[in-house]
Amino acid sequence: MKESFGKKVAVYTILTIVLLLTLFPLIYTFACSFKSNSEIMAHPEIVFTKTPTFDNYVQCWTATDFNVPLLLRNSIIYTLAQVFISIMISCMAGYVFAKGHFKGKKVIFALFLSLMFIKTGGITIYATFNVLNFFHLPQSLYSLLIIALFGVPITNIYLVRGNIESLPGAIDEAAKVDGASFPVIFFRVIFPLLKPIIATIAILAFQASWNDYLMPTIFTLTRPTQRTLIVGLMALKNSAGAATSWNLMFAGSVIALLPVLVAYGFANKYFVSGIAAGAVKG
Amino acid sequence: MRRDTNAGSLKKEKAVEARWCYLFLALPIIGFILLQVYPILWTMRWSFYSYSGVESTARWVGMRNFISFFTTDMTYWHAWGNTLKFALCKVPIELTLALGLAMLLQDGRKGAGIFRSLYYLPNVVSVAIIGVVFSNLFSYFGVINVFLQKIGLIKEGIDWFANKNYAMGVVVAGSIWNTFGINVMYFMAALSGVPADLYESADLDGASSWTKFVHITLPMIVKMGQIILLMSVVGTLSTNDYIVAMTNGGPAGGTNTVMSYMTTKFVPGFADTTTPAIGYGCSMGLVTTLLFMLIAVGYNKLNKKLSNIY
Repeated sequence: MKESFGKKVAVYTILTIVLLLTLFPLIYTFACSFKSNSEIMAHPEIVFTKTPTFDNYVQCWTATDFNVPLLLRNSIIYTLAQVFISIMISCMAGYVFAKGHFKGKKVIFALFLSLMFIKTGGITIYATFNVLNFFHLPQSLYSLLIIALFGVPITNIYLVRGNIESLPGAIDEAAKVDGASFPVIFFRVIFPLLKPIIATIAILAFQASWNDYLMPTIFTLTRPTQRTLIVGLMALKNSAGAATSWNLMFAGSVIALLPVLVAYGFANKYFVSGIAAGAVKG
Repeated sequence: MRRDTNAGSLKKEKAVEARWCYLFLALPIIGFILLQVYPILWTMRWSFYSYSGVESTARWVGMRNFISFFTTDMTYWHAWGNTLKFALCKVPIELTLALGLAMLLQDGRKGAGIFRSLYYLPNVVSVAIIGVVFSNLFSYFGVINVFLQKIGLIKEGIDWFANKNYAMGVVVAGSIWNTFGINVMYFMAALSGVPADLYESADLDGASSWTKFVHITLPMIVKMGQIILLMSVVGTLSTNDYIVAMTNGGPAGGTNTVMSYMTTKFVPGFADTTTPAIGYGCSMGLVTTLLFMLIAVGYNKLNKKLSNIY
C-alpha cells in the first residue's frame, strides 16, 4: 500500500522533531564552548553567539586547575590500555570456552555468568582495596588497569565464544593435524579471523573506559595528576568556582566528546553489530 | 604395543591442551576469586559488624545492622521508592517512544539509517558530560526556563534541582534522552523479523492500522520485546553513576536510586564522610543483591505467564 503525501509529511515531521530534541543538547554544548562565561549566563537563549571566541579552548589548554593536556594524556593512556586488555582477555577466554577441552569448563563458565546477578553496590570497593594492599599496590589509575587485567568481561567472552563457534570447524582441525599447538592455533589461525568482533569489542571498550567516571574518580582521589578528562570535568563541576567556569566546562565537554563522536562516526557499523549481538544474546 | 603409545600420546596431547586452557583462563580465574568471590564473602562477614575501616575497633553486632534499616532507618527504602518511581516514569515512556519511532522507520523508509544513527548519538556521551550539560540547560537562568517563559508556559523560572519532583523529571528526561536510541535499534531489529506478507494479507482483509498493530506486530515481536523490556528494567533499576553525575541524589536524597544511594553514602570520594559505616553498608549491599535476584525471578515468572497469553 502506498503512503499518502500527507502521511509522509507527518512521519518526517515527527522524526525530525525527535531528531532536533536529540541533537539540541549536543549542539548547545558545541555552541556554548565558543561563548564567554558571562554570555552563557546572561543570554542562554542566544544559542549561536555573534562574537565567537576560542578563548575557552586556549584557557583549557593553559589552566593549571583544569589542566586539559595532562587530563587528555591520562585519558588516552587509560583508554588504550583498557581496550587492549579487553580484547586480549575476551578473545583468549572466548576461544578456550569455544574450543578447549578441560575439566570444569561448564562450571567455570556458569560461575562467570552468575556474576551478572550480583549487585552489592559500591561497598565492595573496600574489599578491592584490601586485595591491592595485600600486593602492596597503591590506589592509582595504573592499579585500576591491573584490576582490569584480572577482570571477567563476561559479555565480551560470550560474544567471542559465539563468534568462534560459528567459524567452520575445519580451519583449526587442519592446523591441529599439521601439529600446531593450542596457542599457535589461537594466535595464528583464530585471532586473525576475529577481526569484526574485535572491532566491536574495541569500540565498546573505548567508549566505556573513555567515559568511565566512578572508578577513575575513586582511584585518583589522592592523585589529582592521574585524573582522566571525565574525572577532571566533574571535579570542576563540583568545585566552588563552577558557576564562573561554565565556559571551561563546555569547552572541556567538547574535547571529551570529540573522540567518541569521531569513533562513532567511523565505526558506526561495529557499534550497531555489537548492539544487535547483545540483543540476540539478551 | 603401538596402539598403546598412540593412546598414550593422545592422552598426553589432551593433558597439554587442558594445561593451555587453564593458562589462558588464569587471569580471569584469579580475578574471579580475588575480586569477585572474596569481596562477596567479605561483605557477608562485615555485615554482622559495626565496622568503619579500622579492624581493631570493629564490633560484632549480630543482626543489628539489618534490623536497623528494616525498622528505623528508612532512607534505604526511600531510595528504593525513588528507584521504582524512576523506572515507572522512564521505562514506559522510553519504550513506547522507541517502538513508535522504530515503526515509523521500518519498511525501507528513506533516511531510516541516518535517523537511527543520530538517535543513538546520546548513548556515546559520558554521564559526566550529561551531568554538566543538563545542569546548565535546567539551571535557574538556563535556556529551558527562558524558553518556557517565552512561550508563556510558566511566569517565573523554576528551580529544577531544588524540588524533588522537578528534579526527578529532569533526571527522567535526561535518562530517556541518553538511552532511547538503543531501544529504537532493538525494536527495529525486532520489527525487521516480521514477515511483510502478514501485513499484505491483512491489508487485503481491510484491517485498520490499529488492528494490524495489535494482531500482527505485537504478537510477532513479543519475544524480542520481553528481552528489550528486561534489559531496560534491569538497566534502569541499577542506575548509579548517571544519578551521581546529574544530581548527586539531591535534593535531600529525592532522586537517589538504590545504587547511587549506596555510592553517595559509602564510596570514598562520593560519601560525605571519610569514615562511612562500612559494616552497615555491607548489610545493605547483601539485601540489595537479594532483592535484585528476587526481581529477576519475579520477572521470569511473569514472563512465562505473558508467554501463555500470546
